[in-house]
Amino acid sequence: MLPRSLGVVVVTAAAPVAIVVSLVLGFDVVEHEASRALVHRDADFVGATTCQRCHPDQHATWDRTFHSSMTQYADPDSVVGVFDGRSVTFYGKSACVFRDGERFLMDLPAKGGGRRTAEVALTVGSRRYQQYFERIERREGVVMRRLPLLWHIEAKRWLHLNGVFLGSDDANWEKHTQNWNQNCIFCHNTGPRPGYLTGGSERELLASAERTFDSKVAVLGIACESCHGPGRAHVERYQGIATRYGDYLVADNDTRIVHPNKIDKERSVGVCGQCHGQRVPKPLQRYWEWRRTGPTFRSGDHLSDHVTPVRPDTPVGDDSGVFAARFWGDGTPRLTAYEYQGVTMSACYLKGSMTCGTCHSMHGDDVHGQVKPGMRTDRACLQCHAKIGNDIQAHTKHAPASSGSRCLECHMPRIVYGIVEAHRSHRIDVPDAARDVEHGRPNACTLCHLDKSPIWAGDKMRELWGESYRRPAKRPSGAPLTLPDASASLLAGDPVQRFVFARSAGRLDAPVAPADKAELRVVLQTTLLDAYPSIRWRAQKSLVALERELPLGIGQDLARWDHEGEIVARKEVAHRLLGSFARLGLGKLRQPARTTLLGPELRPNLKLMRSLLNLQSKSAISIGE
Amino acid sequence: MSDSPKHLRGTVFLGWLLLALAIPAGLTLEALHALKVEVYLGSALRRELWTLAHAHGNLLGILCLVYAVLAERWVPDPKAQRSVSRWLRTGAVLMPLGFFAGGVLNFEGDPSFGVLLVPVGGVCLVVALTRAAFAARSAP
Repeated sequence: MLPRSLGVVVVTAAAPVAIVVSLVLGFDVVEHEASRALVHRDADFVGATTCQRCHPDQHATWDRTFHSSMTQYADPDSVVGVFDGRSVTFYGKSACVFRDGERFLMDLPAKGGGRRTAEVALTVGSRRYQQYFERIERREGVVMRRLPLLWHIEAKRWLHLNGVFLGSDDANWEKHTQNWNQNCIFCHNTGPRPGYLTGGSERELLASAERTFDSKVAVLGIACESCHGPGRAHVERYQGIATRYGDYLVADNDTRIVHPNKIDKERSVGVCGQCHGQRVPKPLQRYWEWRRTGPTFRSGDHLSDHVTPVRPDTPVGDDSGVFAARFWGDGTPRLTAYEYQGVTMSACYLKGSMTCGTCHSMHGDDVHGQVKPGMRTDRACLQCHAKIGNDIQAHTKHAPASSGSRCLECHMPRIVYGIVEAHRSHRIDVPDAARDVEHGRPNACTLCHLDKSPIWAGDKMRELWGESYRRPAKRPSGAPLTLPDASASLLAGDPVQRFVFARSAGRLDAPVAPADKAELRVVLQTTLLDAYPSIRWRAQKSLVALERELPLGIGQDLARWDHEGEIVARKEVAHRLLGSFARLGLGKLRQPARTTLLGPELRPNLKLMRSLLNLQSKSAISIGE
Repeated sequence: MSDSPKHLRGTVFLGWLLLALAIPAGLTLEALHALKVEVYLGSALRRELWTLAHAHGNLLGILCLVYAVLAERWVPDPKAQRSVSRWLRTGAVLMPLGFFAGGVLNFEGDPSFGVLLVPVGGVCLVVALTRAAFAARSAP
């Protein structure tokens, strides 16, 4: 009897012990992650899964963000593009996207003619669009090379890179096929080490075909240690329960890990600025070192000790004009990934205590903008400027419920281009029609008052806010100041101006009646002929919005029109829409009172429009996307 | 039951009391879910600890009642009976209380100091159950 009961006891006790032992000795997810081909555990990085053990909530709130899925191995869980064997044609050449089991492939035109098949190894992006990279074995190392097609997640369609980046039509399929190893790796991963192989010379580094790398990252995607710094010392210290509880009793002052909201404002904005602030190594000669061992900045450091944030006049060698096109004439950044520059130019930062963490949280519910609750509204500003909120109309001179009384519309207007969208400027400042228009920067007033001219904006600002405001003297493009700013910018502006106003033209909260948008619509239709596909696409979206607001009967044509479509068909539709504008608009749209772009009976003044189009700046903008 | 020893009446009282507290506690946890209360949902550790407090309260309440029913038959020695009752009651109070307190003002990755009651309660329960087991072996 006793041996039998003893056996029961032994078996009963052994079961949980066996489970614990197998868990301890069995599959270790941390070790598994660290053993993958692209992953290192150098420089005191431990990886996000290690952090998860003690900080499951923070890990979970990060894991659902687009930071976490910024770079991924290509597999059925990560690839969002539809690889269904379809054929897509851009710029006269076709590609086929297809699957072979769990492999994702593209049949592409080869550089020297013929065809080639590329297998997707990495994905970058998971929110707006997803880019794909193939793995190319080189003489010594490996290169991850960007493929020419991407999947636009919101539009649910394939696009050619040449039509997504802010550039003019270009039939060269190789134009944007950059190396992940020396570009994307820096900001789309944690603890990047590009690993440029020193077997080659710096001259070879410049020759794309010869570049070889042994790239590693601590984590694919932007993970904990990007913002909190490498975690090894922190993890090692707190393995012991006595140390943890001892420190809980004393104070939460562990300097081995960085909390971006608990450090001074300069270092705090540097945490985000390491990526959201385009920069060059400091000194510039460390460029080559970066290509081998990666950036030296770690969260909690002073960013300026490691890099020079790019400004309009930041020199590269003897050339101090390399980056000028990335800023408006007054120095305000006009591309994304310059938010650090914008914030650090703002009075809220310079004179106040604002940091990125004032409005953003990496562990909140809003995964799209990572904006704290309420911070998309006036609360963002009123948390400091509470007095203005007591009588908002006295400050804004606009009806309290109107968009003219929304803090962000005037002080953070959407004048920044990036990933085929116009984003809010992070240089928080006061609109000034004269300053803005003279520097080619879209003005917050005329981004909403779409039928008004810069002259009107200058006069109105002077009338409402005082003598310090004046009329602008001239536009950089030379277009007449008497024309509505939206129309003149869409026709005669430079690429970023055109994009920004193409987006703004479709906003339905503008104080312009649908029937009074005749000129805006004809100018937008003209923009369908723009040489920049991304601008055409934005104009199309705005036209669709205006068509929904007041139908002219062009909805089907707009829906079928493809901004990256075959050029003859694309232009034919655009010309047909322009040709029928007067006939379709009469009776629905009102004749503008003082415009010169539309003649009698809504007939477009093609001569004037052509002269404005001739003013378009031809300078290319390299935004390094 | 009126003829039962005082310690067994106390164990029965505690058993019902634990159930009376732990069952509504479960409903409260459900309500915190339903109402999306951030204080509760925002911390996986707190959710786990309070769920453990709820579960242990119920199970140990039932254990107290079961012991009270079986004690006179299976733990006939009055001294052992009293001892088991004492250890069982102490453990049955400390364990759910420790889990609950561990989830109040807990740290980011660890329970608060209240969780120290849990191992103490666990030891009490082990003593009670071992004592009861050996007493049962010598029962007539």
